[in-house]
Parts: sequence; C-alpha cells; structure tokens
Amino acid sequence: MQHEDPRNGESAHRSSKKPKLSSKFITESDTRDEFSHHQPRVARINNGSFGSCPGSVLTAQRHWQLQFLCQPDAFYFNTLRDGITASRKIIKDLINADHVDEVSLVDNATTAAAIVLQRIGLSFAEGKFQKNDTVLMLHCAFQAVKKSIQAYVTRAGGSVIEVRLPFPVNSEEEIISEFKKSIEEGKSNGRKIRLAIIDHITSMPSVVIPVKELVRICRAEGIEQVFVDAAHAIGSVKVDVKEVGADFYVSNLHKWFFCPPSVAFLYCKNSTSSSDLHHPVVSHEYGNGLPIESSWIGTRDYSSQLVVPSVLDFVNRFEGGIDGIMKRNHDEVVKMGKMLAESWGTNLGTPPEMSAAMIMVGLPSRLCLNSEEDAVTLRSHLRDHYGVEVPIFHQVSKDGEEEVRDKDGFITGYVRISHQVYNKLEDYEKLRDAINQLVEDGKTCKMLYTE
Amino acid sequence: MCHLITHFLEVESFFFCCSPGSFHRFSFPMASPLHDSPNAAVNGTSAVEAKSRLPKRSRLHADSSPPLFTPSDILSEFSHHDPTVARINNGSFGSCPSSVVSAQHDFQLQWLQQPDDFYFNQLQPKILQSRTIIKDLINADHVDEVSIVDNATTAAAIVLQQMAWGFAEGKFNHGDAAVMLHYAYGAVKKSVEAYVTRAGGCVFEVPLPFPANSVDEIVHEFRQALQRGKQNGRRVRLAVIDHVTSMPTVVIPVKELVTICREEGVDQVFVDAAHGIGCVDVDMKQIGADFYTSNLHKWYFCPPSVAFLYCKRSINNSDLHHPVVSHEYGNGLAIESAWIGTRDYSAQLVVPKALEFINRFEDGIDGIKKRNHESVVEMGKMLVEAWGTHLGCPPEMCSSMVMVGLPAYLGISSDRDALNLRTCLREKFGVEVPIYYRSPKDGEDGVVTGYARISYQVYNKVEDYYKFRDAINQLVHNAFTCASLPNS
Repeated sequence: MQHEDPRNGESAHRSSKKPKLSSKFITESDTRDEFSHHQPRVARINNGSFGSCPGSVLTAQRHWQLQFLCQPDAFYFNTLRDGITASRKIIKDLINADHVDEVSLVDNATTAAAIVLQRIGLSFAEGKFQKNDTVLMLHCAFQAVKKSIQAYVTRAGGSVIEVRLPFPVNSEEEIISEFKKSIEEGKSNGRKIRLAIIDHITSMPSVVIPVKELVRICRAEGIEQVFVDAAHAIGSVKVDVKEVGADFYVSNLHKWFFCPPSVAFLYCKNSTSSSDLHHPVVSHEYGNGLPIESSWIGTRDYSSQLVVPSVLDFVNRFEGGIDGIMKRNHDEVVKMGKMLAESWGTNLGTPPEMSAAMIMVGLPSRLCLNSEEDAVTLRSHLRDHYGVEVPIFHQVSKDGEEEVRDKDGFITGYVRISHQVYNKLEDYEKLRDAINQLVEDGKTCKMLYTE
Repeated sequence: MCHLITHFLEVESFFFCCSPGSFHRFSFPMASPLHDSPNAAVNGTSAVEAKSRLPKRSRLHADSSPPLFTPSDILSEFSHHDPTVARINNGSFGSCPSSVVSAQHDFQLQWLQQPDDFYFNQLQPKILQSRTIIKDLINADHVDEVSIVDNATTAAAIVLQQMAWGFAEGKFNHGDAAVMLHYAYGAVKKSVEAYVTRAGGCVFEVPLPFPANSVDEIVHEFRQALQRGKQNGRRVRLAVIDHVTSMPTVVIPVKELVTICREEGVDQVFVDAAHGIGCVDVDMKQIGADFYTSNLHKWYFCPPSVAFLYCKRSINNSDLHHPVVSHEYGNGLAIESAWIGTRDYSAQLVVPKALEFINRFEDGIDGIKKRNHESVVEMGKMLVEAWGTHLGCPPEMCSSMVMVGLPAYLGISSDRDALNLRTCLREKFGVEVPIYYRSPKDGEDGVVTGYARISYQVYNKVEDYYKFRDAINQLVHNAFTCASLPNS
C-alpha cells in the first residue's frame, strides 16, 4: 500500500509544522473511496449543515464503540477519560489555546450556547446583573442560539440587542459600523452589556465576520464577556483563540473537521470568569471544572469525541494538511460561486475575502422567491426532482436599502453552496442546470408547491 | 481493503481493520436477521404456544411471530461481549444484542448517506414511532407525555431545572423543601445541589436501613422525612424517589410512597427509575407519579444511550424544557428533546428493534424479568451460602440485581477499598462486579462491610457466578485483605 513518493522530500520542505504520518498524499480515488458511503446520485453541496465524515474515521469510531460494548466497565475506568484528554490536547494545539484545561468537549455549538447562557441567566436570577442589563447578538445568529437567549436571558429579565448586518455585504467596515451602533444602543439608559455573542461565520446568510476586530471593540467599550459562536470555523477558517481574544469560543468538529456526529469544543479563557460554568446535565463530576464535567454526563456513546486523533491522521494525508484543505475549499467555492452567478446573471452575497468554504449565490429573480416557505419548497424540489442538496435563503427586503437586481427584477433568494474535499465540478453544474431549467420552463416557487 | 463484520463475531479481524496508515473502505454490510437462523424451524411450535400466552401489549405483530431464541442464538447475539469476563454487572452500563446494534448501524448509515434528507424526512417520524411504543409499554395516556432523552441523568436535569426557575421566579419560597433518598444516585444528588440548593431550596434526605428487611421500614422513614420537610410552614415542592436504588440496590415501594406524597401535600413527585424498564413493572397510571424516567440501555437492550421521561399531562408541563435549547424551544418537551442540535440520534430509533428482540423470548419482557429475578436470587443465595454471609435484602425487595455480603475477613473498610477490590477482581480474576462499602454503625462489630451487587441478564450463565464465588474464596484462602492492596 505504501511506497516511497518522490514528492516527500519537497513536501517536507513545504509543509507546515504538522507531522506527516504517511509517505504519500491521498489521491483523488482514495478520497472518493473515503466518501463512498455518500449517496451517489446527490449533488451534496451542503457540507455546512451537517458536515461529513470519511470512512477511515468511521471505522475508528466503530472500534471505540465496540470496545465499550465488549467490556463497558473496563472502558469506563481505564480508557474513556484518557481518550477524551488526548482529543482535547490535539484541539488545544490546533486552536493555539494556552492550556488543555481551557478546552471542553461537548456535543455541539448548541450545547455550548446553553452552557454559557445558563450562567448568564443565573447571574440575572441571583441579582449579580441588573434587570435589563443587555446581551448583544447578531440579527442573523443561529436560530437555536436565539431561542437559547430567550430561554435563559429574556426569561431571567435581561434585554437583548440585535445587530442588523447588511446583506449582501461588500466590506468588513459595513459590519463594524453596524456593530458599533448597536453597542451604543445597548449601553443606553445606563445599561451594562454583560455578553456579546458574535458568530465567526454566520449560518444563513453565510458571511465571515471580522471577529478579532469586533472583540477588540467589545473590550474597548467595556463589554464584560464575549462569546464567539464559531460553529463553522474549525477546518474552514484559521482558528487562533488567543488572537481572537474572546472569553468563550465554540466550534463544531463534525462540520468541517471530518468528525462523526457529533463533537464540538468549547474554549474558555482560563480566568476566574469561567470557573462558574457548568454543563447543564449535572452528573457526579459536578464542581470539578467544565472539561471534567463534560467528559461524563451519564452513560452515552462518547465515541465521536475519541476519534480526533484519527481525524488528524486523515487531514494530514492531504497536501498542506488542514491549511491546504481550507485553501482549496475556499478557492473552489469562490470559483463555483462565480460560475453560477455568471450563468444565472446574478451576484455573490459576499466578496471572496468574506467567504470561507461556503458562499451565497443569488438566485434568478424570475423564480419569485418571496417567503421562507418558498425557500423551503424550492429546496425540497431541488432535492426530490434534481438530486441537488443545497440550502436556500430568503432575503427580506429592508426599508431604505438598495436592493440588488438582475435583468428581470430584485434578487430575493440565495443558495448557500459549500465545498468540501469530496465535491466535484459536476455537483455545481447539476445545480446550475437545474435552476436554468426551472427558469427556462417559466417556473416560480409558488408553482412548485403543487408539484 | 477490509470490511466491517456484522454481529462482531470476529473481534480480532475487526481490530485489524483499524491499523493506522492502511486505507479502509467503510462499508455497512446489510444486517442478516437472526430469525433466519437454522433453528427457526425447531422453534416453530413453541412460538405458536408462546404467542397465545403473551399479553397483547408486548406483541408488535401478533400474527407473524418469529421463533423463540435458542441458547445458541443468545450466545450469538452477545458474542461481542468479552468472553474472558464474568460480566455480572448489567446494572451499570446495560447490554445490547448484535441484531439491535446492526439496526443502529443501519440508521447511522442512512444519516451519513444523505443527512439533509434524513433530517427533513425520516428523523422525526422515527422518534415518534419509538415514543409511541414506549407509551404503550408504560401505560401512559398519551404520546405527548413521553419524551426521549439521553439518560436518567438528563431527565433529572430537566425536572430539577424547572425547580430552579420556581425559586428564581418567586413561585417557591426560599427554604421550601425537596426530599430525596439517602441512597439516591450520586449524579442526581449533585443535580439537586446544582438546581435546588443553589436556588435557595432546602434538601432533606430519607435515611434507609441497609441491609433492608421490609418495605415498612422504608415507608416509615419516608413519612418521617416528609414531616421534617414540612416543618416551620415549609412546602415540600418535590420528592425524588428511586424505583430501584443503585448502590445499595433495593426495590422501593414507589406506588405507596407516591400515595403518601399526595396525602402530605407534596407538590410534585419525580420517580428516578433508571433501572426500571425491563427490570421491574413500569405502569405510569398505577404508580401515579408526575415525572418518571428510565434508561432503555440498561435493561431494555437498547444501545447507549436512550431513556424516556414521562410527564403526566394533567400537571402544568409548559414549563419543562430541555436544557440544551434549540429551535424547537417552546413546542413542548417531547419535541424539544427530539432535536437538540446535530447529534447521533440512532440509539433513539432502534426501540422497535429492541421490542422485536424481546418478543423472541418466552413471555417477552415479563418472562425475561421473571427469569432474571429468579436467577439472580438463586445465584445470590448460592454465593452467600458459599461465603457464610447474607443477602442485602429479602428476595421480594430485589429485582434483577441483589446485594451479596462479602466475607468480613476481606476487611473492606472504605469506598476506596471497595473500588480497589473491584479492580483486583477485574484484573486478576476476570470478574466484573461493583462493590459497595457499608460502614458499620455504632456498636456493630465484625459485621459484613462489603457487598457485591450482582446482576442477571439473559446472557449470564451459572459459570459467571461460580467464577466470582471461587475468586472470593481464593482471596480468603490466600489470607488477602484490602489493607494489602496498593492505594492508587
């Protein structure tokens, strides 16, 4: 299987500090094999929603699951904790954290949000915060996070400020300016802003947010704590938690870092402010620190938390490791985005430098996508009739804002295309052709309801 | 290339698959159901007889019942268990037969193949199907009353968080009480501390005698604890009652205790029945609690991990929420719990398969429960006779687990000793069994201070318990005491 590869001499010279374990790079055919369990007839251009996991990592996961089933007590006492610590150490190095104590593993960003927000809620309930002190978030924050804020902050008496970001967006300055305005609003009437929740990469519509700059502004404006919801970040943009400088930073490893569902890390800057954080599912490790609490929340399958070493092996089979993967994904998704926009006569929702491995592409106005329902219907139609999986965003027109047009009308819908290592040109051509077909047939979203 | 082996019959080759550096094709061979085994024809008549005796509730398809399992079928279903271990601790982590594991793999594959399609079209209907089966199994009125969560630990957090809001929002007075058993599970005690004590509630524990002698003792202590809770005009807002305590294990008369709670004006009763389903009778209407949770991965043959939380509809449940809040927040606990972010929900989807598995035993789950109970009592008696000790409770107060006194000679004198002895049994004798340290009371001398909690499940055999018996006899013979174990 393994043979000497003449490129090895060069690659060792060119590659980043990451260790190379195998002597050759993964080939295209190897990559296809690794993802051969993906449904073959689907143009799967939505890695952003549920991620993907290669066959070799799934095999490693089975190995862990079998070990547990074989002798669960021995696994619990002798294996589990060390396995989780090994994963946490790898992540600590990947994200440039200072200490492994700053890294907890949880199911997903949704869980991390509950951990941080539950503590905020307690602070209101226990009188540490005044009623109407504020939590700041982006208007397009992930819906689950918005509900979590409702459940833990609003319910406990806190108020919420939403930062309305422009979309389509042209520059980081637009975002920074809106953010500053909202901070002013949050501080009005003598309120304190207790927490700012900032997405590193928003979900819908997807935009890479200048988090480092926004965190700096938060510090300058006296915002107590900053929580960066970076669900999409790791494996998609560079993640350096010290550089970003937030108090809390979460990212899902099952989205862009090839882990099976589901595992995420929650980074907490090692300071007294994070000592009162608890996992909401309280078990016998309560009080031993969040990483330890999170490593046992009752009997469950922890295998997805244990395969991080295997994932590192996998990404290091690619030229440039995860950095190489990120760069190629970015270059490809921008290229595909431009190809689609050109074919449809539409636009990109963000400039390339504000996109990572996903990009928003305007849909032809003739589809008349005028509601959330239309977006859902079109998405299902593409899945069921064209074998294309892609999420669709409905752009609500805002008063006073200049709207983007194509030759026939206003652009009110966008697809969010993703590019991951298993994608190929044909996937995007399939989407291109499907949309062109619908337009050619004179179809609008409303007409699709009945089909 | 290397392929996954179904049923995990060949453990060695499976481990070979995972050597680093070699490339693997990840494939899911289709599960071949065990009821196609050659023994099917032999079992034909007994299946027909068995069908007519079974309560209607436990049959999924009354007309086309697969044949009953033979002993060799059962060996096969649990062939992934470590064969060198006398696995007499089903109580801690449960067990899952390979046909159910295969079904779980099928669901995992479906997700990996096309997750969006699975999410939009399959996941919710399948969770609903599992919930519906559970509703029937536990005699709940309506499927809305049944939520599926990871485990009893999660269910406890859900119920207790509601308590915390009650204090925070002034519905409860500072100092109002919660009552729980002294032998409540460690995780639940911590949860009570995190959500009730922290929010300003007072917690009262019900001391229970161990060894246990009668149900009356428990009832008496419980009444006393309620009185303590109600002193000085306090209200008892919640009683947390185990159905089957963990360590030491005793079956608690929950129905009677719930009745007492109603008489004494306790606001809500939460029964923690982690060991309940598949181990004791679980009838929501008969027990009458407001909340009842049980793990399906302990005694109901589901893979890790899946549990149900029953919430009586008649009480105001609009305030119960899953602590991991997602976009379904506010749509009711069952709907909230069915989506708490991207995760592997496959364990929740195989409940129908577990039911199928169970119904291939004579008398289904009732037969399994009865035989497990009788066998564990028989094995317990065999052990105490061999060691000259005693059981921790009378047979009618135990389920599929029983506490067995260990020879006093071993000198178990702390929790640390108990854990060390357990490790020694695992590593030197290949016996997996949890050990409980019971500290002697004032005036007690030379008493039994250590008890083993033995379990009996369908895969156990008498040799497992002989192995344990002989291991202890060997230790005593070698003049071993816990004092000689290294303190790790």
